[in-house]
Amino acid sequence: MAFTTLGDAGGVETEVRRRLAAGGIDVRGTVFRALLLLGLLLTLLIIVVLLLDVITDGSTVLTERLGDFLSGTLRSRSSDAKLGVHQGLRGSIWIGIFVTFLAFPIGIAAAIYLEEYATDTRLTRFIQLNIRNLAGVPSVVYGLLGLAIFVKLLGGTSSTGGLTGGRSLVSAGITLAVLVLPVVIITSAEAIRAVPDSLREGGYGVGATKWEVIRSHVLPYAAPGILTGTLLSLSRAIGEAAPLILVGAVTGRLGGDPGILDLGGLRDRFTAMPIVITDWVKKANGGSDDGGAGLDFASHAAAAIVVLMVLVLVLNSAAIVMRNRFEKKRG
Amino acid sequence: MKTSKRWLLLAILLTFGLVAAACGSDSGEDAATTDAPADEPAMDDGAMADVEGEVNISGSSTVEPVSVRTAELFEEVAPGVVVNVDGPGTGDGFQLFCGGETDISGASRQIKDEEAALCAEAGIEYIELEVGIDGITVLTNPANESVNCVNFGDLYSLFSAEAEGFGAWSDAQGLADEVGGSLAMPDAPLDITAPGTESGTYDSFGELVLEDIAEERGQENLYRPDYVSAADDNVIIGNTQGSNSSLSFVGAAFGLNASDVKVLEVDGGDGCTPANADTIASGEYSISRSLYIYVNAAEAAENPALSAYVDFYMTDGLDVAVADVGYVALTEDAKAATLAAWSGR
Repeated sequence: MAFTTLGDAGGVETEVRRRLAAGGIDVRGTVFRALLLLGLLLTLLIIVVLLLDVITDGSTVLTERLGDFLSGTLRSRSSDAKLGVHQGLRGSIWIGIFVTFLAFPIGIAAAIYLEEYATDTRLTRFIQLNIRNLAGVPSVVYGLLGLAIFVKLLGGTSSTGGLTGGRSLVSAGITLAVLVLPVVIITSAEAIRAVPDSLREGGYGVGATKWEVIRSHVLPYAAPGILTGTLLSLSRAIGEAAPLILVGAVTGRLGGDPGILDLGGLRDRFTAMPIVITDWVKKANGGSDDGGAGLDFASHAAAAIVVLMVLVLVLNSAAIVMRNRFEKKRG
Repeated sequence: MKTSKRWLLLAILLTFGLVAAACGSDSGEDAATTDAPADEPAMDDGAMADVEGEVNISGSSTVEPVSVRTAELFEEVAPGVVVNVDGPGTGDGFQLFCGGETDISGASRQIKDEEAALCAEAGIEYIELEVGIDGITVLTNPANESVNCVNFGDLYSLFSAEAEGFGAWSDAQGLADEVGGSLAMPDAPLDITAPGTESGTYDSFGELVLEDIAEERGQENLYRPDYVSAADDNVIIGNTQGSNSSLSFVGAAFGLNASDVKVLEVDGGDGCTPANADTIASGEYSISRSLYIYVNAAEAAENPALSAYVDFYMTDGLDVAVADVGYVALTEDAKAATLAAWSGR
């Protein structure tokens, strides 16, 4: 196609003939390809080394006491038979639920508004700039925000507990939902922007209203992109530790241990997987044995990392599977 | 096409639900059994079984395991009491405690004047209870063969503000001789890793080892600023293992259990003494500090769960929990003094 638009068709033809006849090896191309491959292999190598390290460190815990480990709680000694990540898993999963129900609907709605409804005024440009900046704000800052607003302002006094219950799972969930909100908006907006205008015009052409076009043309087309972005931000929320420290995740001991999907205790103190991991890495291994496997906190931390990674991997694979489904439908 | 949006939403929620359910079904049922009543006999005070309420504890990460272990034992006699324990650090703990957020604050040193003032300002009265003893061990690498026993003069010449800039052990020889050191310093790089200012161990070591000599010599600052400071004790141990001529100090619960490090004997004036549970308990080992809990007095009067927990702390906590988590129990006299402070509130 491009040939026909070139003025100097004769020059191009000579060049093409020369290249076709020249033969030999394309040295620069080969080097470039090798460099790209090297980049890929290096990344993979780092990940594989990290994974192997964590899995070997945690393997004893994962093979010998996986059941106890998943159902156990925070304990004082690494040798305790009841030591485990149940409370941490509960915290992380509820944080995920809060992000799913708060950040996703609000974020996708904001993206639809910005892309489809908002006119290009100075105000909307200012808002978009702000959202982009917010996406780059360090997570600790969101922790401070959570501490000031959800823990202190909406948390009431320690006896009444206010709306959020102070240093509670609710506060942590909302804080992390706010944390990922800008990323959800940006990725969803990108996906919506990538929908070709011809698709919208086709809809309008057959007399559809704006909402009908968005619902039946734009969103289905943008769904794979929206899904990828949102579920990646969900994984990020589950892996965050810094904001939770400020909101007040507990490291030593949690009195209650409700079931993972138990609605009770949402306004009580909490902990989460990243917090459990960072704390176990720091703990001393001394003390008497209490019928446990005699394992140290470091190997439990490694096992907890594996559990957290499995959780995140499951979420990411779900995102990939769903994206492929939507892409097939769209095709 | 018309149901696409609902589809999207449903799919997202469904995935999450499945993931959550998968994890939940695995551990949900087991969770109930983890709280099974213990076979240990209840305490003499049968009333404890009926106590209900919540106790929130924060403060030193060093004291945290003691309070957690006590809570684990307490749960067996008083299952109705929820005890939450956190360990951000002694200083952070007092901030929360004096803000009225916690009932008990653990401390690896005594409360400072400005912290006491903060509590007084907020109208919070507290009871100070000594609960156990933790030694501070001085560590080096096993490869550092010529160093086995250090006295306070040696430590001063290596850690103090006057040691700023010393890059090798031998650089400290002159200063060590001046302040009564006993060591023939090896000619090897001096790689120091130690706790930073946020740590109670930092305060205690400064007070116990450096302060007297620093005062004598008119020094304002205790520590040299140019050492690697780490908040994570396992990092300090890792660095000690990593250099052949390293030097560090950590709490005994870490130091005595670490592999591939040499725990130095310390001469506090009565000859070289190795660090172990016996010498720390008897006070022969000269670098040790007391661990405390501070109890909110008003809450203790109002909240039966809190007073029951501290009652339990004064018996099983001091007798069992402290040793269970690797610290040194108080002597009988000190226990009696702590008990008197609590019952005389």
